[in-house]
Amino acid sequence: MPAPLAPLTLEIVVLLLGIVLLGFESFSKGGDRGWMARWSVAILSVVFAWSFFTTGDTGVDPSHAFYCADPLALFFKRIALLTTIIVMVISLEFRPVLEKFIPGIQPGSGTGEFFALPVFTCAGLMFMASAVDFLLIFVALELVTISFYVLVAYMRRQNASLEAGVKYLILGALSTGFLVYGITWIFGLTGETNLARITQVLPSLLAEGGRLHGSESALLFALMLLLIALGFKVAAAPLQFWVPDVYQGAPTPVTAFLSVGSKAAGFIVLARVLQTVVFLPSIAPKVLSVLGLLAVLTLLYGNLAALPQDNLKRMLAYSSIGHAGYLLVAFASIDPAAGNLYRTQTAIGFYLFGYLLMTLLSFLVMTVVSRHSRGDDIVHFNGLSKRSPFLAFGMLIAMLSLAGIPFTAGFYGKLLVFSTAIARQNFLLVSVGIITVAAGFYFYLKVVSAMYWKEPTEDQPVTASGLTKFTVAALCTAIFYFGIFPQSLLSMLPSDKAAPVAVSPAPHK
Amino acid sequence: MSVTLNHYLLASGLLFAIGFSGVLLRRNILTIFMCLELMLNAANLSLVAFSRFNLGPDGLPNYNAQILVFFIITVAAAEVAVGLAIIVALYRARQTTHVEDINSLKF
Repeated sequence: MPAPLAPLTLEIVVLLLGIVLLGFESFSKGGDRGWMARWSVAILSVVFAWSFFTTGDTGVDPSHAFYCADPLALFFKRIALLTTIIVMVISLEFRPVLEKFIPGIQPGSGTGEFFALPVFTCAGLMFMASAVDFLLIFVALELVTISFYVLVAYMRRQNASLEAGVKYLILGALSTGFLVYGITWIFGLTGETNLARITQVLPSLLAEGGRLHGSESALLFALMLLLIALGFKVAAAPLQFWVPDVYQGAPTPVTAFLSVGSKAAGFIVLARVLQTVVFLPSIAPKVLSVLGLLAVLTLLYGNLAALPQDNLKRMLAYSSIGHAGYLLVAFASIDPAAGNLYRTQTAIGFYLFGYLLMTLLSFLVMTVVSRHSRGDDIVHFNGLSKRSPFLAFGMLIAMLSLAGIPFTAGFYGKLLVFSTAIARQNFLLVSVGIITVAAGFYFYLKVVSAMYWKEPTEDQPVTASGLTKFTVAALCTAIFYFGIFPQSLLSMLPSDKAAPVAVSPAPHK
Repeated sequence: MSVTLNHYLLASGLLFAIGFSGVLLRRNILTIFMCLELMLNAANLSLVAFSRFNLGPDGLPNYNAQILVFFIITVAAAEVAVGLAIIVALYRARQTTHVEDINSLKF
């Protein structure tokens, strides 16, 4: 058996793929750039399979490392790769729309970067999953954010896309400002940028005679700045106001990428940063109560504001805010006495994976349908079951899973999240969660009723490519498979039984 | 009077506050963008100050912070390049850089 590969090779291959694609693109003739997406799908799938043969051990002491490859990091790398692969499939379906809004000598000639930039974003997301030093967290986050600026504003002949780009640019840069200022203060207080080292030195600084004893306000200030920055990234209320506009204006594949990739990466960074402070008895209650408040606000805002929407893309934007709320419930229910975050990490890992499957499935079907119906309002889905029973069924599964019907991955994810809250006896969060799930049923099933019980306005059938049909079928199967056999996914996530690797909190000296 | 860490922190705090209030109050996207850069530079200033004044046991500063400053400068440059391109594209399409005029998506 060959020796397991170093995990960094995954990122290197993805980055090389991006560079090679850009290089070939600039010398290729003709307008068709679909080959870039097809090659990306093929190579990223190989990298995805490859990730199961890597070792989690980087051979570096975590207190000097920038990069770690614990099970959680590997899991989130797979989420990033899978998201990018499906986003590429969605962009293939999206090409006709893209070509309409990009000026070029021949149709499609200006669209090359649209297929290369997601690969770089993917590399950034993978680095973020492994980042255990604020330096790498910052650089990886910016690699993701800056490529998203370009992607969101990509259709430069369409006002909505440009406006969404400008809004995302201003608010993304604002959150970067908060992030670096927060990092600055953490560094000023602890003298370290490495998360494991920060975890080591904080207890002694806060203890009797330490530099920060009796004045935790500076540390809380720094944490607040970081929470604001990450709150922007994961779309937590009250920092969610950019989401509906940007999601509606951006090209659909980019919206799908934003709502899954950028959220997953924001949450893993949040988990890593919180790991440094949630076990400090003087800090934890304050941080957790702020997280609880954010969770309640996000849940209520996301699910209630989605109720009156009649544009599906905008409704999915609100729904993504609502799902960020469920994930925040898992964070607000961290047990400071547990000494590790395994419970929360498992819950968010599973939830995000299920969220990936169902959200990307709904965006994929939406792209195909809106190309045929020239619009992404819910009205355009009227009678879809007659125009394409297969796609309507895919959308049905996605909506049922998003709403949280039993035997779907979405249901089990919600169950895990609520079980963390119940374990902490946090019944306020549980009851708000259940109320918002009920609200979710209404607006998700609105789409289902439009597809199955309304008469179609047009009657020509909706057709999709073979790759798209295969992806829809695979995603549907996965939603049910992981909903019925969640154990197969849970075994990949960190648990109490597995030996802690890399940045587990170091013993206090 | 010698310049201490607090002076630097005060200056950087002021820079950050000016930048942030500029983002909230100004109505021109270019000005807003400049204010955002001000916020990043506030962080740079305090990073260097913290690194210089909090020496380790060996009398040397932690250079990670100073390296981080270089990364922030580089990333900010990339952000400006992309950001200005987007703003120019917007100006071409709409002949305006005012936030009030950017309202075709309902807020």
